[in-house]
Amino acid sequence: MSANVNSRRGAGRGDAVLAVCAAVLLFLLFRSGFFTAEAWDDFGRRFYQNFVKDNRYMMLVDGLKATIFMTGFATLIGLAVGLILSVIRVAYKGGVPIRFLNAFAECYITVLRGTPAMVQLLIWNFTIFASARDLNTQYIAILAFGLNSGAYVAEIFRGGIESIDSGQMEAGRSLGLSYGTSMRFIVLPQALRNVVPMLFNEFIALLKETSVAGYIGIDDLTRAGQNIQALTLEHSQPLVMVAIIYLVIVMFLTGCVRRLEQWLGRSRRG
Amino acid sequence: MMKCNKGFRVLCLVLAAFISMAVCASAGEKLRGLEQLKTSYLAVQRGTVGQFIAEDLLGDKKGELLTTYEKYVDAIASLRLGKVRAVVMDELPARRFLNEVKGLAIMSEALSEESYAIGFRKGNAELLGQVNKILAELKADGTLEAIFEKYLTGNLLEIKPESIDMNKGAAKGRLVVGTEAGFAPYELKVGSGYIGIDIEMCAAIAKKLDRELVIENMNFDALPMAVSTGKVDMICAGITVTEDRKENMDFSDEYVEGARQVAVVRADDYEAPGK
Repeated sequence: MSANVNSRRGAGRGDAVLAVCAAVLLFLLFRSGFFTAEAWDDFGRRFYQNFVKDNRYMMLVDGLKATIFMTGFATLIGLAVGLILSVIRVAYKGGVPIRFLNAFAECYITVLRGTPAMVQLLIWNFTIFASARDLNTQYIAILAFGLNSGAYVAEIFRGGIESIDSGQMEAGRSLGLSYGTSMRFIVLPQALRNVVPMLFNEFIALLKETSVAGYIGIDDLTRAGQNIQALTLEHSQPLVMVAIIYLVIVMFLTGCVRRLEQWLGRSRRG
Repeated sequence: MMKCNKGFRVLCLVLAAFISMAVCASAGEKLRGLEQLKTSYLAVQRGTVGQFIAEDLLGDKKGELLTTYEKYVDAIASLRLGKVRAVVMDELPARRFLNEVKGLAIMSEALSEESYAIGFRKGNAELLGQVNKILAELKADGTLEAIFEKYLTGNLLEIKPESIDMNKGAAKGRLVVGTEAGFAPYELKVGSGYIGIDIEMCAAIAKKLDRELVIENMNFDALPMAVSTGKVDMICAGITVTEDRKENMDFSDEYVEGARQVAVVRADDYEAPGK
């Protein structure tokens, strides 16, 4: 009961803050002459210039394609790398003699989580693949983002595996199953179910992370907005449009995570 | 209940502070000459010669007064918002801003005059020699002049990227050129292609080399890195020849001379001399 009251009071405060923010926004918009007829005409004219004329919205569509392409494949790489790394670390802890592999995994996770994705991207493109000129830059970006994401996914998986009661593994071993078999058929399926929502969040973060790909010459969604800016010399509209597109995708994905969480929760109770 | 009120009050205070700051934007003396820029907030695009000029102007105060942006559009936006008083940039792109964006002016005195050239990896003498020879031919037969004519007199946005022959499927491979396609009329991304003086010139060079022109569109400050690591064969982006840059890359013969570096300011913040 008390928790209920607390949450309600919290919501009340949140509403007040929202209302104040909205009021301030309206005030600022009003002050900047947003609600005059000329402003709306101007808005429409600029909108036409930025997105409609000469099919300029296609630049955003192409950018979105590049963003989704990169995020999709980087996600797959991240999943594979993360799963392998986490199993190495957990197995080492569980007594499997793989000291070198474990050291490598720890090194990998420390370095890739400890440096900004943007810096890694630049190093991949301009140092490691400096001479690979005929390689599509997007593949380099996918590799960079995928390996970076792998380090985060590894930690998510490890948390998931370690959250499974050690009795599960012990039960498997006592039935005569090998460590690998118990891990694969008993522990991992349960762990996966626990970490799916967190994985989804990681990929939402990855989607936004790819916005730095413009730095190595990829026309992703963010860069497409900047290209429109350079074309029309207008600052705000292309950026806001890019933000809205990202937001819509992220909200859609967040909705999926919520659905997924509910579904997983129900099947567990059942 | 107390707690709730306190948070609310703090929020209101912060908002009030922001609003009063926005309203009380200070209005001082108007800009008249370049001398005043030495003590003004300036913005530039990172890595451009405008940055070097602004740094020279500001001297020790550059850390405090100079802001470097990724793109010219950002620098101009900060000028319009009053965060800086002037943007140092090349004259032709500046003129385009003046045409498209209301309330801007260019200070009548130029900050300097520069020459543009194509940049190569240090020691890439073979390509450099070939390009210099072709540049001389393009200058001699009037091709280069015709390109400039086309871009300086016509309407830029009516030029279609498809009209530029990138020499697809050429026998001797690709000529990868790094550029920053936000620098009209020299280079500009339109749809999925590129137009501009530099692009057409590179297309003509690629044709003579019998190679396919491939454009890599990067940030300006990443270009020297791209050419020195061999990611691209050459960089062509209205690049000013400077002594500092000569230490890190080789330059072709100049193809633009007397490109003025100017200060873009807000029209209401500028009083032209002689008025």
